[in-house]
Amino acid sequence: MSDCECLRFTDKNFNQEVLQSDLPVFVDFWGSWCPPCKTVEPIMDELAKHFDGKVKVGKLNVDQNPATRSLFNISGAPTFILFKDGQALERIVGARSKKQLVLFIEKTLESQQPE
Amino acid sequence: MHNAKCTCWNCPAIDLAGKVDFRACGQSGKQFDKTLDSTQETHIMAECKRRPELGLYDPMAITFQECPQWQETPYGYILKDMRVMILGIDGYLGWTLALWLGSLGCKVSGVDNYNRRNWVKERGAHTIVPISRMNQRLRAAKEILDIDIDFRQIDIYTQRERLKEFIDEVKPESIIHYAENPSPAFSMIDVEHAIEVQKNNVLGTLALLFTIRDTVPESALLKLGTMGEYGTPLTGRPLFEGIFPAEAILQWGGREWSLGGELTPRDPVSFYHVSKVQDTFNVYEACKYWWLRSFDIMQGVIFGVHTDQVAADPRLRTRLDIDEWFGTIINRFVAQAVIGIPLTLYGLGKQIRGFIALRDAMECMTRLICAPPEPGQYAVVNQISGIHSARQLAYTVAKIGREYFNLPVQIQRVENPRVEADEHPFEALYEKLPKRYGFKPKVTIDEEITRMFELFLTPEVKKRIEERKQVIMPKTWWSGVKKEVERLELLDLKGEIEEDERLRMFKVHR
Repeated sequence: MSDCECLRFTDKNFNQEVLQSDLPVFVDFWGSWCPPCKTVEPIMDELAKHFDGKVKVGKLNVDQNPATRSLFNISGAPTFILFKDGQALERIVGARSKKQLVLFIEKTLESQQPE
Repeated sequence: MHNAKCTCWNCPAIDLAGKVDFRACGQSGKQFDKTLDSTQETHIMAECKRRPELGLYDPMAITFQECPQWQETPYGYILKDMRVMILGIDGYLGWTLALWLGSLGCKVSGVDNYNRRNWVKERGAHTIVPISRMNQRLRAAKEILDIDIDFRQIDIYTQRERLKEFIDEVKPESIIHYAENPSPAFSMIDVEHAIEVQKNNVLGTLALLFTIRDTVPESALLKLGTMGEYGTPLTGRPLFEGIFPAEAILQWGGREWSLGGELTPRDPVSFYHVSKVQDTFNVYEACKYWWLRSFDIMQGVIFGVHTDQVAADPRLRTRLDIDEWFGTIINRFVAQAVIGIPLTLYGLGKQIRGFIALRDAMECMTRLICAPPEPGQYAVVNQISGIHSARQLAYTVAKIGREYFNLPVQIQRVENPRVEADEHPFEALYEKLPKRYGFKPKVTIDEEITRMFELFLTPEVKKRIEERKQVIMPKTWWSGVKKEVERLELLDLKGEIEEDERLRMFKVHR
């Protein structure tokens, strides 16, 4: 089911929506065969609300969008990557709680701030 | 409608063969040299087996709500003339579901090897609600409900080739797997029975998984599991729906991990339950290896006799067992009440379990058939509609028997022949069916118990209970001891029923 509040990225819109985004973008690379990915689904919706206006939050299905999967060498799911200014800043692999993902996003962005 | 936004990605009519890299997760995945650009179409294209005129298209582009092949029913959108195959179609659940789905317009096919009839007969028991032979059942289904059922007598383990040919011929879009022995006590009789149960359940399911892979990999498999797989953990932690949520955290050594996506611990309590746990792992692995789609349905203890279809004619009735091996607790209590023998509580009778009425279980199954999992998805639901202790249920049956049917119902405690905690914490989660699939229970326990009393008090059924009353009292000990259980005490019902009323007022329905 595609009843999520977070964004849905595809091979077609990834360049525009993620790489050329003015805001940082947090992407969940997921697969429908991946139980941890399914358990993170509701958390992605919560993150979309939590970071509304500050970070774009969305998901990309790795089986439906193999070009993007290949471009970023996704070899495990879920893989979370935080993008900023067209660059992949940091990535983590495996299920995380909401608290852990919020911390990951905030710390990664903080580390990018100028001294 | 709960499944309005599902897309062709979920639909069993999709043809993904050769169009998806089935080893996507980086495992030898085909490397794409392409770079991203805004004109590029999504890579994954599929074809529809029902609408070949669509050609290759994006499987995410059409929702069930938009597709003319999916039609609205009270339980969600369902594929027009959906081909559903029921394995174990002659059983208590299988026959009931066949008529239920047939009435919804599904094209129902089914197989059975009559094991259930044979097992019950072997124990010297019988169904107290008389059932017809299969050919009479099929004729009655056509004559009374205008349902055609394509039936074959097949054993799914020993006659794998025949099953494969039948599945290949029918091309079912949903396969309901009820073809298992459902009895903890039967599996504990002796080594032969334990082997029989595990062979039938584990190897039958394993064979089925290979057959689905080779014939209809896009078909959704709905496999009946049991809440009993979880056991009753004395930690008191909730019984999640098969898989830990991402917010379940393991803390150890000052660090913490999300358990999201891991199977929750299983703690089976009989060799039957062990067979169901093994099934769980086999189905889970098959989804992972071959991208099969499955619901593992952890059903609570089932009870009741009624759906509109089985009640339409005596020839359409489903079986109902009350013996120590195949009788579930509420069904057995009502039968005991009707013939004036005390309702038997094992041990303290404080065991707590999840329950669901037959009619509600049929609705849940239908809602899940309407919302097939995605490719490769192993999904789990806890299929219960309420939580009760054995003692509480005995009081409820006693109260209804006394007040509405003027029966002198008594309750007695007997030794518990099983190895299980008589008293334990119990918190089962059952949120997916209501929240994700729109299920609301329609049948109250009191209502179904009343209906059972009415049916059991008819002369023919009452006579059949009397004829087999000697197989109700348990004799199968988990320890292997061969003896009857001892009667411990008759409970004083005065005051206890009032206490039950008080408890029921506070009963938590999640």
